[in-house]
Amino acid sequence: MFAAFTFPPIDELFRWKDIAFNDSGYGINKTSLLVFISSALILLIFIGGSRKMKLIPSGVQNVLELTYDFVDRGITRDVIGNDATRYTPFLGSLFLFILFLNFWEIIPGIQFPPTSRFAIPLFLSLMVYVLYWFLGFKHNGIKYLTGHLFPAGVPKALYLLVTPIELVQILVVRPFSLAVRLLANMMAGHILLTALALLTSYTLTNAPIITIGPFLLNIGVTGFELLVGFLQAYIFTLLTAVYIADSLHPEH
Amino acid sequence: MLASVLAVAVKAAEAAGEVKAKNPIVPESKEILWASIAFFIVFGLLAWKAWPAIKKSLQDREDKIRGDLEHAESVRTQADKELADYQRQLADSRNEGGRIIEEARQSADQVRKDLIARAEADAAEIRARAQEDAKLATERAMADVQSRVSDLSIELAERIVRHNLDKATQIQLIENYINEVGGTRR
Repeated sequence: MFAAFTFPPIDELFRWKDIAFNDSGYGINKTSLLVFISSALILLIFIGGSRKMKLIPSGVQNVLELTYDFVDRGITRDVIGNDATRYTPFLGSLFLFILFLNFWEIIPGIQFPPTSRFAIPLFLSLMVYVLYWFLGFKHNGIKYLTGHLFPAGVPKALYLLVTPIELVQILVVRPFSLAVRLLANMMAGHILLTALALLTSYTLTNAPIITIGPFLLNIGVTGFELLVGFLQAYIFTLLTAVYIADSLHPEH
Repeated sequence: MLASVLAVAVKAAEAAGEVKAKNPIVPESKEILWASIAFFIVFGLLAWKAWPAIKKSLQDREDKIRGDLEHAESVRTQADKELADYQRQLADSRNEGGRIIEEARQSADQVRKDLIARAEADAAEIRARAQEDAKLATERAMADVQSRVSDLSIELAERIVRHNLDKATQIQLIENYINEVGGTRR
């Protein structure tokens, strides 16, 4: 009686054909295009908006200052310390980059977050990985590693248990969890919104009386994904700050 | 460098056919490449142009607010000091006014006492002079009376001597004399 509801292969939701430099090692697909557009928007808003800063803020200046203050006070100073404001530009850029990429998930007509492609969370988490290892060794030398592997106050017998766990944690778990957390959240959100949109379309054709259900659910989940997009950008940045703080002051 | 290493690694894996399957999880090297380029451009330009300007704006406002607050505090302290000065001056003025009034009152009191004393002295002098005058008048009157009595006594004696009077005549004569003297005195 009804046409069967078919969900497209997952691959179709995430893999996009190149639109420039086709099939080359540097082909540009929808993911990369959205990354470019996001970057251009960030630069346009933040560099354009910061050219004429006034003592009494108005309009976009409020957004710029709010963002800076949010990252500087809410993340850098709170997590790393008041003397660590030199990390705010990096953390702020990271936060904005992820945030803008995440928000494509709910932009009508686009509805695809580039952060649901593993390439981007992987790159970002590995960059953070390199950064905190570099800072750790720069500020603490080999003690950065030994301090983690042989934490003070732990009975030596327990090193047999603690040391491998710590080693795996700082070598693998940290970057992996950082990347996968962002990827999984954005990917799940994208699949969910796609499923609800397809379900709405399907019920509209085959069972209009219940269309309102998936339709309203789709709207609700879209709002929820707005929150998720922000929250994931915040969490990624916050954890980056935590790792940097750990590199600078491992004794804490 | 990280991005290029990563991209090469992924590319190598793809070439090896290990990730050729359509697995949406597998990262694509070209996406890593472009994302890394985009991120470093964003970070570089924001760190160069945007973040310092925003930080400076916030710092300027913070400095302005702090300066204004400190200035307001300074002005308030100055105002408090001036108020205290004015209140002290007002209290001094009140004390000075009270002192002047008290001095004036004492001065007036002294003037009053002086005037009263002088008036009393004048009155006493007048009274003394009047008493002196009365005394002199009395003495003058008494002298007149004595003189008159003497004259009359002499006159009486002359009359007695001139007339050898009987007893009744003598008595009559004396009574007449007395009446005459009494009438003279009145």
